[in-house]
Amino acid sequence: MSSITLRGLTKRFGAVAAVRELDLEIQEGELVTLLGPSGCGKTTTLRLIAGLEVPDAGEVLFSGRPVTALPPERRNVGIVFQNYALFPHMTVWQNVAFGLEMRRESPRLIRDRVAAILDRVQLHGLEHRYPRQLSGGQQQRVALARALVMNPAVLLLDEPLANLDARLREDMRFYIRQLQREVGITTVYVTHDQAEAMVLADRIALMRDGRLQQIGPPEEIYRRPTNAWVAEFVGLSNFIPGRVAGRENGLLVVRTAAGTFTCAGEAEAGRDVLICVRPEALRFDETHPNQLRGTVRERVYLGNLVDYRVEAPGGLQLRVQADPSRAVAPGRAVNLSFDPSAAWAVHAREA
Amino acid sequence: MASTEGILRAGVRAAPRRGLPPWLLIAPTLLLLAVFFLVPYVNMVRMSLLVKPAVGAYEPEFTLANYARALLDPFHWRVMYRTFWLAGLTTALTLLIAYPVAYHLSYAPRRRRRWLLMLLISPLLVSLVVRGFAWMILLGRVGLVNLAVQRLTGHELVLIGTPTAIVIGLVHVYVPFMALAIAGALQNIPPDLIQAARSLGASPWAAFRRVVWPLSLPGVQAGTLLVFVLAVSSYVIPILLGASNVLVMPMLIVQTLLDAFNWPLGSALSMVFFGLTAAVVALYLRLLARGMPWTRA
Repeated sequence: MSSITLRGLTKRFGAVAAVRELDLEIQEGELVTLLGPSGCGKTTTLRLIAGLEVPDAGEVLFSGRPVTALPPERRNVGIVFQNYALFPHMTVWQNVAFGLEMRRESPRLIRDRVAAILDRVQLHGLEHRYPRQLSGGQQQRVALARALVMNPAVLLLDEPLANLDARLREDMRFYIRQLQREVGITTVYVTHDQAEAMVLADRIALMRDGRLQQIGPPEEIYRRPTNAWVAEFVGLSNFIPGRVAGRENGLLVVRTAAGTFTCAGEAEAGRDVLICVRPEALRFDETHPNQLRGTVRERVYLGNLVDYRVEAPGGLQLRVQADPSRAVAPGRAVNLSFDPSAAWAVHAREA
Repeated sequence: MASTEGILRAGVRAAPRRGLPPWLLIAPTLLLLAVFFLVPYVNMVRMSLLVKPAVGAYEPEFTLANYARALLDPFHWRVMYRTFWLAGLTTALTLLIAYPVAYHLSYAPRRRRRWLLMLLISPLLVSLVVRGFAWMILLGRVGLVNLAVQRLTGHELVLIGTPTAIVIGLVHVYVPFMALAIAGALQNIPPDLIQAARSLGASPWAAFRRVVWPLSLPGVQAGTLLVFVLAVSSYVIPILLGASNVLVMPMLIVQTLLDAFNWPLGSALSMVFFGLTAAVVALYLRLLARGMPWTRA
């Protein structure tokens, strides 16, 4: 097992920079998800760590040891590809044994290790099937077993659940999380699905246009996004534009068209900011100090909650998600309030 | 899958029954095959069982004598053996030359691939006879190859009229067919598989041997089959480059039919030759299938 350090990593494809001066530190045994929209450079980053791509600049280190110049077979990484990349001409057993055979391990050790890992991923009894005789979830587990049987220093997963149906995907999230904890292996997991990232990650690294936007635990990413883009990409968010008037009790005071609000955040007075308020943080009552009035325009029933569009002063369109037990009819004027600590100011214009 | 099928079936059932029955679409093809393939073939089978009189083509009297003569004459077996041996050698050499070409073609950048593909098939634009003559000039007594060999070793090399010249000519003609068949299979191999093999510790050579080669076998099968069948029945190249010195089955059959004017024996030889070719191909396919167990699973 090792830690992973990326230093100033840059990769260009022709004129396009897929990854730009990326710095990232991943601890031993940690599971970090690289999250971002397609084309943000997350897969390229994974391939750079794997050694499947050579960086134009920067370094990759495993436990402080530079591996930038090493080909993939000498990095001791386990890779699970998006489409699993199982060898179609080999049985489950042969697929899993392949790496150990390449390492010229003894037949006895190969037999024991393959049997043990197949037990662990619950594929016992399917050893002699070919990949196309397996379901998607089973193929996924063969791919995991094939990577893990090598006892790799680092496990790299590239959207491993993208090809599974929704139900199975959810099960596999927890399964992979549990397996990773049991094995205790340093893992980098690429996904564009924020729910997946939330469930799995110790820390989420958010990427956009080849750059790191924010890295932190899921809760921090959700509650304290560093910019409006992060807030918008992870979950739903309302943005109330305003200008910082000053500071009070450690909170920012922001003047907006809908009133003056206090919220958490870092910004100097006079700065234009956006207050991020999650739809579930807005409430139809006056319990919190930040209060505003609005008119309900639309109501959508979602089962576990009701999604409202509320029009507030200054042309502000707010989304409110509330408990279905107390329905508010469209057209009604309502009082809304939100907790200052549940709101977070980010700079209006991105730096 | 099942539901898709259900929908399709339902769609077919719902379609109004009108217009022409679907088999009518292939009727012209069937008719063409029947007239120009099936009828002559059946006729040939019939002819192979008829008596050859001293004068004339055949008499409507059934006999197995033609088959006896075709099978019992050791001369026929020598020609048969030579024909299969030359075709087999041609196939093996073509595979050896075409595989790297196909490999290069499959992994070349798209632009370059288009150019290479055009280069590869450009010989097919030239008539087989012209290519045969070109090789006659190159391999002749005062041809480029011989002059070079003479300059280097002082010995004269006899090529025209030997099996070597025939194999050279056949390999040249069939390399594009083999390369295209193999390239098709290679391009179907996802690059991820090679990367997965590499990440599991396989050297480039090991990744080729354990992953690329087995997965390209369907293409190798198609290519070798195509080339073998074409080579075994080739006529023009053996005549031109063998200078009628090296007798192969198609030449022997044509000679028997036209020169000896023995239609019954020629037909019998054709049948025996066809049967043996089919048997060799069947055996080859069976052996190859044993090497690709995953295709049957």
